[in-house]
Amino acid sequence: MTARLSLPARLDLPAAAPLAQELLSLRGSPVTLCGDEVSLLGTPCLQVLVSARRSWDADGFSLTLTDPSPALTEQLAVLGFTPADLESTPTEH
Amino acid sequence: MTTPDPMAEIRASFFIECEELLEALQDGLTQLDSGEADDETINVCFRAVHSMKGGAGAFGLEDLVRFAHRYETVMDEVRAGRLIPDHQAVLLFMRSADVLSDIVRYSRDGQPIDTGAVEPTLRELEGLVGGPPEELEEEVTDFQPLTLDLSSGDTSCDTSFVVAFRPEPELFRSGNEPLHLLRALGELGDVSTEPDVSKIPLLDELDPESACLSWQITLDSNRSVADIEEVFEFVEGLCNLEIEVQTGPSDAGSVGLPSVPGLPDLIPDLDGGDAPEQTPFPEMDTPRPRLTLTDPETGQTASCVATDPLSQAQPPRSSDAPVQSAAAPKKTTVRVDLERIERLVNLVGELVINQAMLSQSVARAGLPSTSAVVQGLEEFMQLTRDIQDGVMMIRAQPVKSLFQRMARIVRESSAAVEKSVRFATDGEATEVDKTVIERLADPLTHMIRNAVDHGVEDSERRLAAGKPAEGCITLSAAHRSGRVVIEVTDDGGGIDRDRVKAIAIERGLIDPDVALSDSEIDDLLFLPGFSTAGQVSNLSGRGVGMDVVRKAIADLGGRVSISSTPGEGTCFSISLPLTLAVLDGMVVNAAGEALVMPISAIAETMAYREEDVRPLGPETQVLHIRDSFVPLLDLGVELGFRPPKPSYEGSVVLLIASENETRGALIVDTIHEQRQVVIKGLQESYGHVPGIAAATILGDGQVALILDPVDMMANAVGRTRPAVSELQAAG
Amino acid sequence: MSLSILAVDDSRTIRDMLSLALTQAGFSPNLAEDGVHGLEVLSGMHPDAIITDINMPRMDGFGFIEAVRGQAAHRATPILVLTTESAPELKARARAAGATGWIVKPFDPEKLVRALHMVAGPGAAR
Repeated sequence: MTARLSLPARLDLPAAAPLAQELLSLRGSPVTLCGDEVSLLGTPCLQVLVSARRSWDADGFSLTLTDPSPALTEQLAVLGFTPADLESTPTEH
Repeated sequence: MTTPDPMAEIRASFFIECEELLEALQDGLTQLDSGEADDETINVCFRAVHSMKGGAGAFGLEDLVRFAHRYETVMDEVRAGRLIPDHQAVLLFMRSADVLSDIVRYSRDGQPIDTGAVEPTLRELEGLVGGPPEELEEEVTDFQPLTLDLSSGDTSCDTSFVVAFRPEPELFRSGNEPLHLLRALGELGDVSTEPDVSKIPLLDELDPESACLSWQITLDSNRSVADIEEVFEFVEGLCNLEIEVQTGPSDAGSVGLPSVPGLPDLIPDLDGGDAPEQTPFPEMDTPRPRLTLTDPETGQTASCVATDPLSQAQPPRSSDAPVQSAAAPKKTTVRVDLERIERLVNLVGELVINQAMLSQSVARAGLPSTSAVVQGLEEFMQLTRDIQDGVMMIRAQPVKSLFQRMARIVRESSAAVEKSVRFATDGEATEVDKTVIERLADPLTHMIRNAVDHGVEDSERRLAAGKPAEGCITLSAAHRSGRVVIEVTDDGGGIDRDRVKAIAIERGLIDPDVALSDSEIDDLLFLPGFSTAGQVSNLSGRGVGMDVVRKAIADLGGRVSISSTPGEGTCFSISLPLTLAVLDGMVVNAAGEALVMPISAIAETMAYREEDVRPLGPETQVLHIRDSFVPLLDLGVELGFRPPKPSYEGSVVLLIASENETRGALIVDTIHEQRQVVIKGLQESYGHVPGIAAATILGDGQVALILDPVDMMANAVGRTRPAVSELQAAG
Repeated sequence: MSLSILAVDDSRTIRDMLSLALTQAGFSPNLAEDGVHGLEVLSGMHPDAIITDINMPRMDGFGFIEAVRGQAAHRATPILVLTTESAPELKARARAAGATGWIVKPFDPEKLVRALHMVAGPGAAR
């Protein structure tokens, strides 16, 4: 069963800890992140998302980002990332 | 309609704010002087000057900035407790406030600043703290970033910069966000942004608010290093920043392509050759040296970022507690164009007239007083009245600002005649029509000068009379039965009535042997041509006599009177209508014309009785009333509506109490009603018409003239008996 | 959607100028007269950035920043301090109090807008 997590609109500093918590609780299963509401992606949350990608990589589960909002895609680009950088596709399993 | 220039509007409003700030400053200084000050008082004064400086800076008003800055600097010493101002120092602060106020006005009117008082005042101020402060210029010199304009004029040739940017956790906590910085950087030219994610741990080891992401950005831009540094100005000391300048255009494929290394090759693989000396970031938790990078080729320092974040940035908090327990409740105000208010006042005037017309139609319709229409109309009338009152109040302002201006007059004039005079006020919150306040300034100024000059005795004489050496002038305002009463009281020697009478006789104003009551003698001061200039100074004797004061007050529909007690002092009392826009009037009829007589001018009304009238000249008569005789005038004749009537039996007489108490009696045919009328100025269209103050529109839509009885008395022909020829013609 | 800005200054002139500069730049400014008022206004909005003066009655800029930072939702809200002094100590002090950046008064509208972009980005939509 793939868990689904809707990313909040403001991924600012105060949002980083709750986001990390939620992702931690979903570890060990495939997860779909929904990014259609995101209007702001700050660095702390980006770090959490990159860390999650690494963790899912290590665990061998899939992590996907669906419907990234235009703002999210644009801000990722400014920060030097693409939406794909936040996804993990397990080669085995 | 063109849109008004918003900056011009803000500028205008800045000067209004300055007036308010000057008022607050004055208040604070007065409190300081009276010993009623608390810790916040000096802060209020400081902030007032500080705010003026801030706004003045925005409009390039350098003289104002300069004075305010130096004034504020001295005040800051008081704030910091390093300077305890004594009475003399507070007086100096007050004089400085006067100078500041002058500079504000000169700046507002675009006049050159009269520097006469500026420098000496500044020198005196700075004498309090031992010398001038460090020059303002120092402050203006904002920190100049090391300007290294590598693009110098050659905009076509981009320089390639490599920016290594590594945030510290404090950067996030300060509210800064790399996203915005990187975006701002991207606006300087073509960027290629390479994040370094190698320090990001797995989720369970991640501190979500730590800083473990860093970037290397290659920027091709024609901008200078200073421009790049400006982007990072706010995070100086909160990050590790290296800016490296590469001479010659970068050639590598990394330029302009926002490509991201895929995560499998997360360790930055920044070979490319165009990023020399790539410093691999050391372990996160070890302290890193702050870097000063030198361009290897030019040897020029391109960046100098070496501050400890936060650690040294912990100065003591501002001395005063940030949360001041609520000061005086603040009034919320809205600024409205005066024209709009005028329009509203006019409209309400129309409403009043309209309502009166409606009332008359209803009355003519003969509806019973119990009918819904009549009752509804009554409510409507009440509402109209309330609206009218409310609208009139919009124009009302507290007299405080006017009183504060007078404080200055007392200071200056007492200094000029070397008298020691204290100024006290009462009822500063009393509200009066704005126009009235404006037009009161001149007469009040003169009265205050007069009180300082002639009212208050010099210290020697005061001490001899057993009074305190320092004289006192009190300015008070109060509402009294629908009027405003403003009084200027001094505790001086009172009017020297013998002298006044002697002067009046000497100037030929009165007959040497006429017997005058005390109040009649006092009134002589208001006669044109009575001037005590022989006595003292150029202060009050500026070619303006009390007659001009009386005239100015009368023009406002007011009266001025004197009461004086020898040895104890003199009080000038001004009584004014609350507003200039409405008037309580009596509607009378003369020769078929409806006319309005201001109620304030009518002392009494009575039936005409032939037996009270005595002939005086061939065509004039007087009215005998309570042991005195007053001139009898026919309103119809005075206005040229008709010749004198053979008999006035059945007419009504209005006894007029004019300004200087001399009375007259006006004959009218009938009295209609007493009512409030809306004043419609005539002067703009017709100039001054003798005996006529203005016009109004009555309930039936008829235009009626509003009479000016004082003026009429002064210009009266006084005929109340037909000439013989007229009698013959009539007969 | 433009950036929503809370601007706190006790000088009406400066408020007017901020309002003009911000509006012309396409931002939507909310204004407050001092720290206490600023906190009241803040309770009804979530600004993208806050601009505040230092010298103010009732609650000064330092007290205001501290109070804002004390609210979880505004721990990282960008705050720019308006100051007539540009002395490095004052900036250090502003930062120590929790400010994000600073603008020297009298401010240049262009610089103000740039500073806002630097701390709050271009707004949700570009």
